[in-house]
Amino acid sequence: MSQRSDSDHSPANVKLGFVTPVTTPSNGNTSNSKLLSGNLRTKAAPKKLIIRNFKVKPQLPPNYEDETWDRLKRAVHAIQNHEKVPESLETLYKSCENLCHHKMADRLYTRLREECEKHVQVELQKLSSNSKTGVFFLETVSQTWADYCNQMIMIRSIFLYLDRTYVLQSSGIFSLWDMGLELFRSQLLQETSLRDKIVEGSIDVITTERSGDTINSSLLQSLIRIFIDLSLYHEVFEEPFLRRTQLFYRSEGEKLVHSLDMAEYLQHVDQRLKEEGVERINAYIDPSSKPKLIKLVEAELLERHVDTILEKGFQPLLEDNRKDILALMYRLLSRVHALDKLRTYFFDSLKKTGGAIVTDESRDSTMVQSLLAYKQKIDSILADTFDHNSQFANSMREAFESFINSRQNKPAELIAKFVDSRLRSGNKTATDEELESLLDRVLILFRFIHGKDVFEAFYKRDLAKRLLLGKSASIDAEKSMLSKMKTECGPGFTSKLEGMFKDIDISRDLMSNFKLNNLFIPYDKMANSQEVFKNFYMSKHNGRRLMWQNNLGHCVVKATFPKGKKELLVSLFQTVVLLLFNDQKRDHLTYNEIKELTNIEDKELSRTLQSLACGNSRVLKKNPPGRDVNSSDTFSYNETFTASLYRLKINTIQLKETVEENTRTREGVFQDRQYQVDAAIVRIMKTRKSLSHNMLINELFEQLRFPVKATDIKKRIESLIDREYMERESEDSSSYRYLA
Amino acid sequence: MGRSRSRPLSLTMKIKVNTWTVPAYWSWDVENEDVCGICQVAYDACCPTCTVPGDGCPLIWGECSHVFHMHCLIKWLNAPNSQEQCPMDRTPWKTAAAHS
Repeated sequence: MSQRSDSDHSPANVKLGFVTPVTTPSNGNTSNSKLLSGNLRTKAAPKKLIIRNFKVKPQLPPNYEDETWDRLKRAVHAIQNHEKVPESLETLYKSCENLCHHKMADRLYTRLREECEKHVQVELQKLSSNSKTGVFFLETVSQTWADYCNQMIMIRSIFLYLDRTYVLQSSGIFSLWDMGLELFRSQLLQETSLRDKIVEGSIDVITTERSGDTINSSLLQSLIRIFIDLSLYHEVFEEPFLRRTQLFYRSEGEKLVHSLDMAEYLQHVDQRLKEEGVERINAYIDPSSKPKLIKLVEAELLERHVDTILEKGFQPLLEDNRKDILALMYRLLSRVHALDKLRTYFFDSLKKTGGAIVTDESRDSTMVQSLLAYKQKIDSILADTFDHNSQFANSMREAFESFINSRQNKPAELIAKFVDSRLRSGNKTATDEELESLLDRVLILFRFIHGKDVFEAFYKRDLAKRLLLGKSASIDAEKSMLSKMKTECGPGFTSKLEGMFKDIDISRDLMSNFKLNNLFIPYDKMANSQEVFKNFYMSKHNGRRLMWQNNLGHCVVKATFPKGKKELLVSLFQTVVLLLFNDQKRDHLTYNEIKELTNIEDKELSRTLQSLACGNSRVLKKNPPGRDVNSSDTFSYNETFTASLYRLKINTIQLKETVEENTRTREGVFQDRQYQVDAAIVRIMKTRKSLSHNMLINELFEQLRFPVKATDIKKRIESLIDREYMERESEDSSSYRYLA
Repeated sequence: MGRSRSRPLSLTMKIKVNTWTVPAYWSWDVENEDVCGICQVAYDACCPTCTVPGDGCPLIWGECSHVFHMHCLIKWLNAPNSQEQCPMDRTPWKTAAAHS
């Protein structure tokens, strides 16, 4: 055995050596002591065995520590220089162990640390003076680090005994691995320019990737790993990384928000957020940076440009119905808490587009259809892109309410007429279900209207016409519309309309009791039969007067033309005129003759003649021909009349609204409003006794359910003062007092 | 209706009225804008307890020629101090058999 084996005592062995004089080092200590105790028990003779201490303490060779360290140092150097380790690793391990046993661990640790420190310095010096740039440089850095780590693992393996005993038991010193990291870390912190070169270089690579090039992301991953391992990530890397990220996206945002169209821009932003928040984080950036990184991108690409995005993009996207992009916009803007702004734009846009539909008088005839289509479009946008957001729904309602009422009275009138056109017979295009859903949608528009009285007036008049002329397409649909309005506005609103249905029922009962058996009547006998009916009615109902509505009367007549028999649906006036031509004494009649014979007033007569001689079914001939009726015209029976259908409706003029009728209906509404204003003023004054003008006006606006102008209210107040319902206060002329 | 001999048939129209519908409205057979002596509301409107005028709120004529909303009069006649007299002239109330 060599000298080395002497020094290779295990701690137990050494201890025993001091106590017992067994000197054969090759003997296993345990078996030896067993043998001894066995002897003591078996031999009866008390033969004393005296165990004495060594006379001379065993000594280590004088330069044992230095020499051992030298060998260890050589091995460390070899590892650090990528050379073959000269001795077996096991021997080296033992040497380390022995040094520890001889209480030399402290110095050993210090020496090892010095070696490592020197090495780190050298390595980092080499990197500092490395002239390579860019990726090549970064690859060297990464390689250096990888090598260093491997070396430290190796060194630690050799010095494992030191690591496990001395280091663990002493407080305040790092384990070998941590020591390696610490040395590298402090050295790197000192080498500021090298550090910056690595950091900036890495960020350059990231920027390259952001610009669309492919990069070696595993290289970046290992570089960033270095910072994370050295606990330098937040201190050294993150801040510059975020700063450069901000610069990058600030300039990108400013450029793209103007150059791209909004759909492209938003898609780009979405892509960026995915790249940064998912791909980059997965690839190499530490997840702890994710919130800051995402926030930066949002701030630079979205928050700074919210106004531009909305100003430039919202209206066109809404007009083009780009739901996908609008949904994206909604999602992105909600990330930067800009939904309120989006909602404002939504509101303004609706008001603008809707206002254009409502105020354009040339498009009155299609206003309601346009509004319905527009509402449907917005509804679907609301559902598909704005996530059924109730605030957006409210904005929509506000916008509709605001623009529908931006033009007074007309929208209400047109909605009423639209409903009339759908409930009239001859409108066979829709099934019951379609009609029902259409009515529901119209009712939503109706809900926005402030002046519901205008709607009511026109609706009532049209309903009366439908019922009286038998033109209602379906009583079920009428009743359903009625019940919808009832739920919407309460029974007070519909009671008059319901009354009409009751009247029709009463009339049907009545008519079943009254039969005129002679239906073949010349025109002058018609008045007679009206008289007959009147008497019949009086006999049924005491104390009443009957007023005929001849302009709404209509007949079914059978006409025999040389080319075939026809059944004509005609108004009463048309019937009277046609009956004149039954008279064989004349073959033509002048306008004035007809007027004299029928007693129909001019406007009505010329309308009637026009419908008979200038419309689609010309059962009369006009001389001279033309579209308009003049008082100099003459009329004769058209014996060449033909038509493909057997039943002909010529009385559609009755359903048409005349200008006078329209004015009358409107005036009725305004008259009614005046009464309501009067009543409201008196009601308020009666409770308040005395009130200033402004207070009165305010209370009125709260009470009245239709839009009124302050000037109109003033007129009503004047009128009430004239009629002595109230008076001005004597000392304060801007206040009023109620007169009981 | 006879056939004309002097003129060709084709020059006259043969129109036969099959049905004839004319709407009419009715009002109470009283002076316009006159009011019920009990409630002071127009005859053509309704009594204070009804909401719609018409068949639901009829008038009633007395033999004394006074007219009231039927509801108003019934309420009056049921009152203890009415003594079943016409409120206008204090003659015993008799409903007219038929209004002329």
